[in-house]
Order: sequence, then structure tokens, then C-alpha cells
Amino acid sequence: MSHAAQPPKTAPVQIPASAMMIRVMGVVSLVCGLLIVITYQGTLQPIRRNQETILRESVAQLLPGVQKQIIYQVQPDGSVRILDDVQASVPKLFAGYNSSGALLGIVIETSERGYADVIKAMYVYSPEKQAIVDFKVIELKETPGLGDKITSDRDFLANFRNLEAKLDAAREKLLHAIVTVKHGTKKNPWEVDAISGATISSRAVGRMLDKSARQALPVIARNLGRIQRGE
Amino acid sequence: MHHAHGLVEPSPSESMESFLNGLWKQNPVFVQVLGMCPTLAITNSVRNALAMGLATLFVLVCSNALVALVRKLVPRQVRIATYILIIATFVTIVDYMIKAISVPVYKALGAFIALIVVNCIILGRAEAFASKNPVGKSILDGLGMGIGFFFALLCLGGVREILGAGAFLGYPLFGPNYQPWVLFLLPPGGFFTLAAWLLVFTSWQARKKRRQAPAEVQS
Amino acid sequence: MRNVVYALLPVCAFSVWLFGVSALALIVTAAAASVLTEHLFSKLANRPSSVKDFSVVITGLLLALTLPPGFPLWMTAVGGFIAVALGKMLFGGLGFNIFNPALVGRAFLQAAFPVAITSYTPAMARDRFSEFIPTTLALPFMQPAALTEWIARVRVDAFSGATPLMQQKFDHVTTEILPLFLGKVSGSAGETSALLILLCGAYLIARNFMDWRIPAAMLLSAFLAGGAFHLASPAQYPNPFFVLFSGGLMLGALFMATDMVASPVTPLGVWIYGALMGLVTVIIRFLGGLPEGVMYAILLGNAVSPMIDNLTQPRVFGTRKKAEAKS
Repeated sequence: MSHAAQPPKTAPVQIPASAMMIRVMGVVSLVCGLLIVITYQGTLQPIRRNQETILRESVAQLLPGVQKQIIYQVQPDGSVRILDDVQASVPKLFAGYNSSGALLGIVIETSERGYADVIKAMYVYSPEKQAIVDFKVIELKETPGLGDKITSDRDFLANFRNLEAKLDAAREKLLHAIVTVKHGTKKNPWEVDAISGATISSRAVGRMLDKSARQALPVIARNLGRIQRGE
Repeated sequence: MHHAHGLVEPSPSESMESFLNGLWKQNPVFVQVLGMCPTLAITNSVRNALAMGLATLFVLVCSNALVALVRKLVPRQVRIATYILIIATFVTIVDYMIKAISVPVYKALGAFIALIVVNCIILGRAEAFASKNPVGKSILDGLGMGIGFFFALLCLGGVREILGAGAFLGYPLFGPNYQPWVLFLLPPGGFFTLAAWLLVFTSWQARKKRRQAPAEVQS
Repeated sequence: MRNVVYALLPVCAFSVWLFGVSALALIVTAAAASVLTEHLFSKLANRPSSVKDFSVVITGLLLALTLPPGFPLWMTAVGGFIAVALGKMLFGGLGFNIFNPALVGRAFLQAAFPVAITSYTPAMARDRFSEFIPTTLALPFMQPAALTEWIARVRVDAFSGATPLMQQKFDHVTTEILPLFLGKVSGSAGETSALLILLCGAYLIARNFMDWRIPAAMLLSAFLAGGAFHLASPAQYPNPFFVLFSGGLMLGALFMATDMVASPVTPLGVWIYGALMGLVTVIIRFLGGLPEGVMYAILLGNAVSPMIDNLTQPRVFGTRKKAEAKS
């Protein structure tokens, strides 16, 4: 184990100066950097393709019959434009069109803190019905058997077949905030009926929809013409 | 260390031994109890265990090879820094590769891919073996240790997925009415499973030792 | 330890009267699994079996009493095995357990089968002496059946399937104090009757088998902490009597927190230990995501009890000078 057993052969007799260390480290870093750059270049395209495929697949699952998808990015001034890089972390709207080019719905990503960790989800907004018409959890770490029922509980998912999300007259605010109510007490079309025993996760879903709809719906209303035309 | 006659050129049997060492006798998880962070965190399904095992194997073999290659050039004072640099490079490469191969696997492994850097098995092999041995032997050592680690992760992942989800590699084994033991998918399940495997391994080794001891006395 | 078993028998009997044959099967299974496990492990370690001490019977009974009455028997057997194997024998057997073994078993079950362990059934159900709760007889490794229809069929008016604590936490309905005190409510098999548990505990205390200060400290601190919450926000938090008589607090304070091996020994330490557990119980119930927190409170108390002992070690006369002289 002793290190004295292997003196560096190339080193001169005197103690290797810091120049020597720097040189070696430099060369090693250079080689390593080169390796990383090569891998990065080689994997860039597949990674992008993968992420786009995944996004498009999940949008297609939420919008049956979709033929064409356009991804818009929401710009800070509230206008939209067609996005070119899916990896960019900007608010996005996924518009889906059927074979005759009519807008089927708009898929929006959202997230909120659940019981164990952040729950990520997507939902479909139909400008025609002014309602949320589908909802799907993309990522969650909730307790198996309890909180993760939000992905499977049939009664709970039925909430999102037609969840009202109307804007007020000025098209700037939601007419009614989307809220989660206690299991079995849903009275209004904008309320989410919680799963009994998974209240925290159910509430998180209500909050994430409300938060996201509040921001995204006015933007959609303002740009609806462009989105419908697909430009 | 265990290569007492390392002065001569490595014979094939000796190379083989350095390979088998990691696989069994010095198994990084069951015997050395190293690399506990990924062992406990990532083994909640066989798929994750497979991916993590392969990623670690790749990094281990590559870093062992490169460390062995430059072992005579690197001054002693900066050797650890150099090893870390080399290991981090291969971890970054693996990170990109997994992302390119499968996004779901990448998401499941999360931060633990980056954390391969601090897996002490890898730095341990670089310092204890690759820095003193030729490239070929170091690669074999990396392969042995890596496959040993891979094997251990599979053992844990198998038990945890079978009990915790009633499935193996995602294929349900016991029908739809199986009651999953949720606990085994959660962190405590990792500890319980590891403890159980360690129990099996140590009691098995103790029994073997007991059986050998009388034989040695007789001879 | 035989006396503790006797003291638990009335609680078991009440449980059978309240929940029927399922509770009986539950208690027998848990006790049998615990005893068998202890016997097996004693044999494996080549030691005389410590079953005759009866403390393992207590473990089995307590485990059963903390489970929902319709808990599947195969899971109960798993719980009994884990309680004794993991909670007791692996630490060295009788007299060496760091945690209350019954609660180790229950904590395992809670983590492994979160749905089954929160599926409660109504008390005083129809046909409870002639018919098992359907979940009781679930096949090994298989999921128990859904209970909704069965509950609708056998439920007697005024008895809900949800426990008072669940109703309080999720529906903000506070159960009346008197039925809660007497115990004719839904809940874990043996936790419902505060009155009966107090009487049985009093018997043990009177015969000097139990340190009265632990339950006193735990109940008092839970009462005070609950009272403080209630005063701060009466609409949100129930009154302190509800805290005292609901859930497993009574059973835990009298029969589980008093585990001789896992609790401190110094006089001051005992008070600190009890107070800590009462406080943690209330904090988990009111501020946590779970309706009940007694189990975790006691396990936490067990975990810190050696530290409490260390901190409250009475100074032996004259040692201080010696220590100073040495240094």
C-alpha cells in the first residue's frame, strides 16, 4: 500500500514543482472535456427527439383523434408564438388539431406540491366549452395506495370530464376559482370532488388547476384566433 | 491487499482472481457494504436497479482503465483530484447516454446518476487498485466489482419489486388481487431488504468457514 | 407479567362484544403468531424458550388491540412475526427490546398495508357474532375485499365506519364525550373504551405492576397541549376531553408507553418521557397528515428514553468533587 513504492518515472530528481501538477491536471482535464463534448454532441439530437416524442405522446393521449400538434410558448407580454426548442423552460401551450384542422383542445402543463413531493400533471382546456375536459398526472411520488389514487380513482377523474373554467366579462380572471371540496359534497361544476382518504393529494390537484388556469386562460382568450388558425 | 505476488507479470489465473474477487469474495455491497446510497435509494424496481447497475459498471470500468493508464504520470499530491475528474467525466457521459436512451429511466434515477460520482466503490477501486495495476488487470477488476454491484442491486430490486408491487420487471406475477407490500417500495423497505440479504450472506459465509476450519486442522 | 395479561383480558372481551368474532380471531391470531415466533427464535439461538414469561403474549394482545377489527388475519400474523422478530428477538430477546415490540409490528403494518390498516368497520354491527367481517378472511398475500356494501348491510344506525378521530380530522365532526368514554364507537379493536382501559390500568397500578407516573404524565401533557390548541382556536381543534378519550391514547399511555424495558428509569426522566409522548401525540393529530399519532409518539419516546436517562442521572453523593479533583 505504501506510496513510496512508485516514484513517478518521468519526474526529475527534485520534488515535482506545482508546474508539473498543473500540467498533468491540465492534460487530464483537456482529455475529459473532450470526451464530454463528444458525448454531448452525439446525444444532443436523440435527447431532443426523446423529449419531444414524450411530450407529443402525452398530448396525443389526452386529445384522442389529434392529427397535428403545435407547441406555443407564452411570452412575457402575454402573447404567444410557435416554439422551436422543446427543452426551453417557458410556459407552453400544446394545441391539438384534428384532420380537418379544427382546434380540438389545448393541453397545459401544471404542478403543485402534494403530500410527498411535487405532483406534475397536464390538463386539456377546451376553449369551445370553456371547461377543463381531461386531466392526467405525469409525475408523482404520493403514497402508493392512498395519494396515488388521483391517477386511477374513477370517480375522481370523472371530475375532469367537464370542469367549468369560465372567464369573467373582462376575460382576465376566472369567474369561479377551481376548488377541491370534501368527498361527496360537490355542488357546482367548478368544484373538484376529493377522494376520501387522499384529501391532501386531491386538494393539490384543485390548487394546481386553479393556479394554472388563472394564468393560462386569459392568454388563450386573447390569442384564440391565432391558435385556432394555427399560426 | 490481496495480490501479494504482484511482482511478476500477472498470470491468467491471477487476472481471473481479481475479476472474481469483486464478484463474490469482496462483493462491494454484501461484503464491503459500500455504495449504500444508490443501493438503498434506487432498488425499488428491477428496471431501476438494472439501469443503475449498468451505469455504475460502465463508469467503474472506464475510470479504472483511464486511471491505470495515467497512473505513472500523475503526481501523488493531485491524484485524488485527478481521479475525481476522471470519474466525473464518465458520470457525465453516462448521464447524457441514459437521457438519450430512455427518458422514463432517466426520470426514475433522477439525481442518483449524478451521485455516482461520490459512490465510494469507484473512487475506492481507483485508489486501491487501478492506481497500482496495469490497464488490463484494472479493467478486469472494474468488471468484477461492477458486476458484483450490479448483482447486488438486482438481488435487492428483485425482492423489493416482487413484494412491493407483485411484479418482476413490470410484469405482474400474482394476478390482480395480489396485496402489494407498499413498505418495500418506500425507503424503509430498502433497509429491511438489505438487512435480510446481509443476514443471508454472512450466515452463509460463517457456515462455510465453520466447515473449512475442521478440515484445516486435520491436514 | 401474567398479571398484565389478566388486566388485558377485559379489554379483549369488550372488543369481542363490540366487534364480534372477527375481533376474537384477530386477537387469537396475533397472540399465536407472536408466541410461535418467540419460540422459534429462541430455538434458533439455542436458548431456553422465553415464552413462559408471558411478555410475548402481551405483545401479541397489544398488537391485536391496536389493529382495525376487520384487519386480514394473514396480515395480523405477519405483524405478530415482525413485532417479535424485528422488535424483540433481533435486539437480544426478552429484556433487550429498544422499542415496544407490539408497536414495531404495527408501524410495519401501517407502512406495508396503509389501506387495510385504515379500513375501519362500525361497532355493534348486525350478525357480528355469527359472521366474520369479510376482510378478516382475505387469502394470504391477496387484497381484502371492499367493505362499502357490507358496511351498508350490517350497520346499525348511529354507528359509523369511520373512527371518531377520522371524523374529527376529515369531516370536522366531533363525537360526544360520553359514548367516547364508554367506548361504543368505531376504532381499533381494543382502543375504544377509555373507561375500561383506565380500570384495568388502575388494577395494575394498585398491585404495583406499573409505574403510574408514565401514564399520568402522558395523559396530562396530552390534555394540556390539547387544551392549549382548543383555546387558541376552538372552531378548529376539539376540546381536550376528546383528545384524551379518543383513539389509542388511553391504551397507549397505560399499556404501551409503560413497557419496562423501553422506558426510562430515573424519576424525573419518567415524567419527561411521558410528557414528551403526550405532546407529540397531540402535535401529530392536530398538525400532521394522520388522524392518530400515539404509535409514533411512543416509538419516538422509546427512542429517546436512553438519552432521557442519561440527562437525568441523579448525582451520586460526593462524585462532583471527585470529578473535579480528577480533572
